[in-house]
Amino acid sequence: MSNTSMSSNALTVVDREGATHDLEWEPDQSMMEALRDNDLPVLASCGGTASCATCHVFLEQEVFDTLEERSEDELELLVEAEGYRECGSRLSCQVGFSRDLNGVTVTLAPEE
Amino acid sequence: MIQDPVVIVGSGHSGVAVAAGLRTRGWEGGILLVDAENELPYERPPLSKELLKDGAPDESAVLRKEKFYADKGIGRLAGVTVESIDRNGRTVLLSDGTRQAYHRLVIATGSRARPLTVPGAGLVGVRSLRTRGDALELKRLLVPGARVAIIGAGYIGLEVAAAAAAKGCEVTVLEFQDRVMSRVTSAPVSRHFEQLHERHGVRFVFGAAVTSIDGRQRAERVTVADGTVFPADVVLAGIGVLPNQELAQDAGIDCRDGILVDGDGRTSDPAVYASGDVTRFISPTDGVSRRLECIQNALAQADRVAAHITGQAAGEPEIPWFWTVQHGVRLQTAGVRQPEDQVIVRGEPSCGKFSVVYLRDGRLAAVDTIANLADFRTAKRLIAQGARIDPVLAADPGSPLAEAISGTPNHSDADLAAARS
Repeated sequence: MSNTSMSSNALTVVDREGATHDLEWEPDQSMMEALRDNDLPVLASCGGTASCATCHVFLEQEVFDTLEERSEDELELLVEAEGYRECGSRLSCQVGFSRDLNGVTVTLAPEE
Repeated sequence: MIQDPVVIVGSGHSGVAVAAGLRTRGWEGGILLVDAENELPYERPPLSKELLKDGAPDESAVLRKEKFYADKGIGRLAGVTVESIDRNGRTVLLSDGTRQAYHRLVIATGSRARPLTVPGAGLVGVRSLRTRGDALELKRLLVPGARVAIIGAGYIGLEVAAAAAAKGCEVTVLEFQDRVMSRVTSAPVSRHFEQLHERHGVRFVFGAAVTSIDGRQRAERVTVADGTVFPADVVLAGIGVLPNQELAQDAGIDCRDGILVDGDGRTSDPAVYASGDVTRFISPTDGVSRRLECIQNALAQADRVAAHITGQAAGEPEIPWFWTVQHGVRLQTAGVRQPEDQVIVRGEPSCGKFSVVYLRDGRLAAVDTIANLADFRTAKRLIAQGARIDPVLAADPGSPLAEAISGTPNHSDADLAAARS
């Protein structure tokens, strides 16, 4: 695992088996891209357009609360998702890089 | 130690996904992506949507950042085509004159726009849309007041119609069938989108067989079989695609309107795989031989190929799904409808938000959702389960689709296995 460079965020991911992974989240990546490009099992079949809900993650509520509200499409896809959390579920393709998210932990939602 | 790389021909969604999937699955040998286009592999869905909008940047999102390929040790040859395959020697001849040996070859050459064959199809101003270059060229032609004739009311034709209307063009859609998107959806959905387009000033002509395009230097008018003439500055042909199978065909690999592959993406040559739009296969869910032009299939087949090359089990494929956005309204479909399916309209189309449920032998086969993604997600799950659906309950938009399951699921383990394989 490489060291986090000055410009990247550290991102901790809990996968579906409960194992943790420490990643480098680069500024030009959405959260989904950081997960996918680091070989985590995120299908992201719609390419990041909030269409398919295969990049569903759970955020801690205090982190979730700092983000902008979910779009109507994102919310509709999430509400029907397995394990939906009103104050924690996000499509990771809709979470952009932000310095404020350095060091957060995300959990991959169950696959359907 | 394997010396020769896996050579992947084509860097669309499927080719890139094979490369990424091989690394995710621990493949340590070489990987070489050969791409006829000389740029970083990119997303295609935005080409007929966001990219055409006024003020939108000329870039569309790339599939993976440039750094990804270097980090993963995936070699790229861009702007190079594969001319032929020597199957006995396991090499390919490249357009730069060199030969490249392969351990396994993956053909992911995709599809191309079906060309118009009427007189005048070669005139300036007659376009199709497949690549980013096509999209940028079209974008320049769609100026306010331009008369745009679109031949074919499928996804591409209608997405371009919406973009052109938004830019102030005068848009006429010429369609041979009697309704829009007739191949992929039912009449209630067609009617909804026809009305949507008409509210935005798009004119439809159904039963229109184009016989010629005429003009001195460039396209000026389109003539249809009954003699009606439509003035046009720009003509877009959106009449489907053809599989880019010639590379395989010329090498003697079995093709029939698509490269024939099995459930692992293998062609008739055990060292050669094919993946994505270019393939034809027997669908495990309904036993129908088809080509599937969608990202879901591009990714699912790529996973099968990467799994088979590395000797691993493939993941569960998603149910096929499709989407289009026209005038900001999203039509998203799960499953593959057939014309003889029972059609149940769920909700009131005039509210702008509804679904259409397709049942085959009482089981959920497909669902069209219009601005209604909640049903989409549920439908994908129920289709995968082979769920039997009560038509009366399904027609009630006030009741969740998941509660429309009728009785005890009446399928055997074999049914379930078939539905999931």
